[in-house]
Amino acid sequence: MDFWLSYCTLAAIYVLLGLSTNLLVGIAGIFSVSQAAVFGVGAYIVSWLLMNDVMGFIPALTIAAGCCIALNILVTLPALRVSGDYFVVTSFGIQLLATAIFTNWTAGTGGANGLPGIPPPDLFDKTLDSQAHLTALSVSCMGLGCLAFWLIMRAPFGRLLRAIREDELAVAAAGKSVLRAKVSAAAMAGAFAGGAGGLYATFLSFIDPSSFDLDASILLLTMVVVGGARTLAGSILGPFLLLALPQVLSLIDIPTTIAAAARQLIYGLLLILFMLFRPQGLAGEKL
Amino acid sequence: MTAYLSAEGVNVSFGGLRALNDCGFTVEKGRITCLVGPNGAGKTTIFNVITGFLKPNTGTVSFQGRSLDGMAPKDIVALGIARTFQNLRLFVDLTALDNVLAALPNMAGESPLTAMLRPFHVARTQTTRRQEAMRILEHVGLADRATAFVRNLSYGEQKLLTVARGLATGAELLLLDEPASGLSAGALEQIMALLKRLRDEGMTLLVVEHNTRVVRQIADDVLFLHQGHLMARGSPEEIVNDPALAEIYFGGAI
Repeated sequence: MDFWLSYCTLAAIYVLLGLSTNLLVGIAGIFSVSQAAVFGVGAYIVSWLLMNDVMGFIPALTIAAGCCIALNILVTLPALRVSGDYFVVTSFGIQLLATAIFTNWTAGTGGANGLPGIPPPDLFDKTLDSQAHLTALSVSCMGLGCLAFWLIMRAPFGRLLRAIREDELAVAAAGKSVLRAKVSAAAMAGAFAGGAGGLYATFLSFIDPSSFDLDASILLLTMVVVGGARTLAGSILGPFLLLALPQVLSLIDIPTTIAAAARQLIYGLLLILFMLFRPQGLAGEKL
Repeated sequence: MTAYLSAEGVNVSFGGLRALNDCGFTVEKGRITCLVGPNGAGKTTIFNVITGFLKPNTGTVSFQGRSLDGMAPKDIVALGIARTFQNLRLFVDLTALDNVLAALPNMAGESPLTAMLRPFHVARTQTTRRQEAMRILEHVGLADRATAFVRNLSYGEQKLLTVARGLATGAELLLLDEPASGLSAGALEQIMALLKRLRDEGMTLLVVEHNTRVVRQIADDVLFLHQGHLMARGSPEEIVNDPALAEIYFGGAI
């Protein structure tokens, strides 16, 4: 029972990250490989605020989301000016920079040892310390995230983003601000990633840089590719499927030293195979 | 009296190439003005300058007495000038109706905040905006293709849709880049009739056109551009029948 609850909690958190990545990469066409860095910043901010007893969980989560909105706009700014290949390289650099900070800023992040003992979230003066409560919290957050995603994509904002993905120049010629729409998309993606970070830290009660490195960013891209780009269903399906993979692997009798490498190998293979044979993923539109 | 649209002393250089060379002309309100000239005369370049996609090295463009210098494309559209592209640039993965909707101004729900916080308001306004877009499609003769994806439309239908998208912005001056090129006889008649109808309804059109038969049929005024400079202006008859211009147009002059 506990196993299922923790799987659902983690998957719900990754659905928020999937929505974030899908919005930015799939829909707005901003090919970011640094979403895990933003996720990490959210996690560290919430951890720091809670461990130092600065404020409760909800205000801390709000602050983390706000910071990640600003951060994500900042890191995607190059993409608002230059496009395509150049931005991937920039974004790659941002991810490496973030990992370096997470690993070396020992006073703030605990460095490579990580931050242990993050308190569980509290809601209305009640501490959520049981697994079931945590699952309910993250699944509710996932529900809110999905609702927000659905609302913005069926509104004219969704149409504008699709139009921008096809032809920015034509959107400008139609009298629309391409910049404003892209900044809005980056802000939404930042809020999703920051919120997910806060939930992740309080759920695990321990975080270290390995959850927010380049591998994590690529895992997020793989989730979007496998689940399906640009659709709500795809953003939900991808995380639930890929997070089940380690569990499936644990059923097979292989040494733990190989298990982690095997997982990365399978993620990489999935990414290549889906790109080659089913670029629209299981439930998406063509990337 | 100030001209409706005027360009004065516009110079544009791409490296060593002078695409526009002291280019100046005026366009009168409520008329179809055709912009003609050989390839490389600078017709599309002047379009890019007027619509703010290209900053000229020197020179100024004004619309209804107001300078457009340094304005962003979207702000120029808001003043009432819209354009089409020679290579159409439609959103091919969207429907015809969505292409028009994407160009309607003041759309509620184009920011994520209104989309999330006022979903019912957005949904309500969408119904009326959709009717508005349908009327524009009807106007250009594409009402029955509203739900078709653009990639499934014929080339002629796609050209009509670019005009519809221009109209959707609420513009009163439309800049059309070769709206009649590559069309079959039937589609050609349809688009010429549409352009004349738009003019009769009070719109002003500036049209790049190569086909002299089309120019004769639709133009009220003709501007002849050569090597980035306005060489002549006049009625279609005057321009088309000028042997010196024909010489330039069909080769001969450098």
